[in-house]
Amino acid sequence: MFEALSHLYLPGAVTIWCAVFFGLASFWGYVQAGQAGQASQGSLAFARRGYYFFAGSIVLSAFVLFLCFMRRDFRIEYVYQYSGLDLAAHFQLAAFWAGQKGSFLIWLLWAALLGLPLGRSAGRDEPTVMAVYLLTLFGLLFILVRENPFVMLEEAPFDGAGLNPLLQDDWMVIHPPIMFVGYAAAAIPFAFAAAGMWRRNTSNWAARAFPWALGGFLVLGTAILMGGYWAYKTLGWGGYWGWDPVENASLIPWLLGIVLIHGLYLERTKGRFRRSNLVVACLLYLSVLYGTFLTRSGVLADFSVHSFVDLGISGWLVALMAFFAFTSMYLLLTRLPGVQTSTNEDPFLSRGFALVASAVTVGISAFVIAIGTSAPLLTKFMENPGQVGPEFYNRVNLPLALIIAVLLTAVPFLTWKGVPAAQLLRKLLPSFGFALVATIVAVASGVESLFHIVFVFCASSALAANLHKVIDLIRSRTLVTSGGYLSHVGVGIMFLGVLASSAYDQSAKVTLEQGVEQRVGEDLTLTFVRYLPRQGKEKERMEVKVVRDDGFTYNAYPKFFLNDRTKQLMVNPHIKKVPLQDFYISPIQYEPGQPPGVDHRMQLARGETATIEDLTVRFIDYNLQNTGNPSVALASGDVVTLGADLEISRNGQVLPATAIYRFSSFGQVETPPIELPGGGWLAMTGIHPGVGKVQLDIAGIESEPQLAKLSIDVTRKPLINMVWYGLYVVLFGGLLSTWKRIKGARQVDVIAAKTAA
Amino acid sequence: MKSNKKVYYLVGTVLLVLFAGFSYSEFRGALTPYVSYDKAREAPRTVQVAGGLEKGSNSYDEEAGLMRFTLVEAETEQTLAIRYEGVKPANFEDAISIVAIGEFDAQAEEFAAKQLLVKCPSKYQGLESVETKTYG
Repeated sequence: MFEALSHLYLPGAVTIWCAVFFGLASFWGYVQAGQAGQASQGSLAFARRGYYFFAGSIVLSAFVLFLCFMRRDFRIEYVYQYSGLDLAAHFQLAAFWAGQKGSFLIWLLWAALLGLPLGRSAGRDEPTVMAVYLLTLFGLLFILVRENPFVMLEEAPFDGAGLNPLLQDDWMVIHPPIMFVGYAAAAIPFAFAAAGMWRRNTSNWAARAFPWALGGFLVLGTAILMGGYWAYKTLGWGGYWGWDPVENASLIPWLLGIVLIHGLYLERTKGRFRRSNLVVACLLYLSVLYGTFLTRSGVLADFSVHSFVDLGISGWLVALMAFFAFTSMYLLLTRLPGVQTSTNEDPFLSRGFALVASAVTVGISAFVIAIGTSAPLLTKFMENPGQVGPEFYNRVNLPLALIIAVLLTAVPFLTWKGVPAAQLLRKLLPSFGFALVATIVAVASGVESLFHIVFVFCASSALAANLHKVIDLIRSRTLVTSGGYLSHVGVGIMFLGVLASSAYDQSAKVTLEQGVEQRVGEDLTLTFVRYLPRQGKEKERMEVKVVRDDGFTYNAYPKFFLNDRTKQLMVNPHIKKVPLQDFYISPIQYEPGQPPGVDHRMQLARGETATIEDLTVRFIDYNLQNTGNPSVALASGDVVTLGADLEISRNGQVLPATAIYRFSSFGQVETPPIELPGGGWLAMTGIHPGVGKVQLDIAGIESEPQLAKLSIDVTRKPLINMVWYGLYVVLFGGLLSTWKRIKGARQVDVIAAKTAA
Repeated sequence: MKSNKKVYYLVGTVLLVLFAGFSYSEFRGALTPYVSYDKAREAPRTVQVAGGLEKGSNSYDEEAGLMRFTLVEAETEQTLAIRYEGVKPANFEDAISIVAIGEFDAQAEEFAAKQLLVKCPSKYQGLESVETKTYG
């Protein structure tokens, strides 16, 4: 019976079982308190305490796994799979969430911690909200019970398998945990909505959920921004967004978050959208579950660069989705008809109309992205399953973005009652002026297609109109209310940046020979100058000189190296920021010209001489000055360096040299080559202690030296910075709104207390 | 005012139907199905084929920037000649499996790949790679 336990690391496993126990206890307490209503202070106190212990257990659980990583305890299978002796300490954090189990644990950790402020913010509704929220946490917790991260191997391995070198990046330390805060926060509006429907009182959930929805939107947006920046800056994928399933899985909830925020705004100001907000809050959470299923179950393994193997949890993820989908559906079907909502009749040119239309448009965008991402599933039952490429998403979303830009232009100057068209146009005149200038500049710099010209006009007028409004609001000293408009300014900036950098980038793949100038594009001359070997922490780099015809010159240093452990080829692009555009140089292939291979091999005993062509080599003696006693060094795992003193003579030139053979007990061997007088290379590639001979390899003494060749991808991305800056502005605007809505949420209980009294 | 609402719903529905039709045709157009080699030879459209690299079949013409190789399907042992224009992918010889996206060129009797996805061995993911080393 206890056999199963011997495969678990008990300190860790116990914390997970404790979490299950305390979580169930807390859930029971909250349900009791929720059913009994106001009078049940006892149950509520019990439930709260249960929750503290539950959250504490999960914190402990994450802490134990973290300690296992820091101790490099390879007995634990998960640590073995994602860590290694050579992994730096801060990358142990990256290893923590590099795999499935760890990422579910970090998700659960954030979710459990978010539950602490959530309980307080829910006020009188705490019991039901927390009961629903705990249900969503159980979904994650039971995945961890099934796929326990504390499973142990039968024997303790000497070293771990190592972390994928692609993930050994500072962004990997920071990006995934922020993403999981966003995912964890997506359950909160759902908890408020479902709890409200359960209580048959959906009058004040919107005020309480609003700041949480905004906060979740902010965090998820930050994570998406970081992911895009990571992909662009270090991974060398050529862009910031590839419409990969994993990227889409975070974008869909983000877009639904935008829909929810606007719906909640309408509900709070006009009492409308009450029913649809409940639906959207449910959809938002379901989209996170669905995205998790798509990317973590292995169903898309053949279709994504972020491939995850199937851990056998797909069945569980389907069950989880089905449970929450059916629960939501049941609640919505039974409760929605009873929800009172005001049905204002909006004139065409009114705020209400524009808000509804833009929310619907963003919702449609989320929907088509979901359809595209699901293509392999949707076509699975057809003859040939397939996927859709990035062009599908680009083409389908472009008209939607245009509609959004038009609506955003109008919104700042619309009122709820509606305005006459002439008045609206008069107010928009300055913005149209700005947009016209922007469009003329765009056409002058090469924007051709009519659709793109219209798009530039609409996006810049959206930018200008909202900026106009923000300035007005700041003048009247109401900065806090300007958050929404400020975000819209950011959307305008982002739209322009996305169009310019994706539709008007110029890219060329070229092969450069060392030292030979080559024309690239219309006005660039590139020269591959040299290969720079590893220097300290700086990896192997290529030096490429870039000259633009107007005299602008710089040296690019794209990195291109083999990972020591896996011999996996790693690439880091070099990005040069110049005004209005980025120069992006990414290495594709490098062929070192020298040495082309081993031409000759000789084995010499001490004092022996050998001659090849015009080259004579004499092995004088071993040279052990570089190292202590080799056997001591070997036993302690240090690197051992053996030298051989040689006398090399060629065409009358005599050169004394020491060839080096360096090796470690891990089997790594280094044989730095010696340059020969008159061209060519020599290296000591082996030692035969039995016969007392050293092996020397000689290369390049006859053949013409071949030029090294470097293939690179040279891309110019115009206005790409506007994508980042636009998103910063969107997020800053969101921050202002969150601030405002937190204050609004606090008033709910104050008002409730007053009416009760 | 009542008529106002009707007009919204009508226009909204028309727009939605139009957009749905547009998205559907884009979806069909952008869909690149996985097919067998025989199907790839028949289909005059962009498809994906997968397989392993036939040992020693790859050659690279540096002047033209063309790579040619042969894919082998593991189960049926069928083969398909592939032509790829572009820079040779790094570590290509070590590939475990290759996915080629493109369409069959009937005149040259080879598959013209626009994009290659090359899977190289990695001992990171997956439990099957767990190995315990013995020393001494």
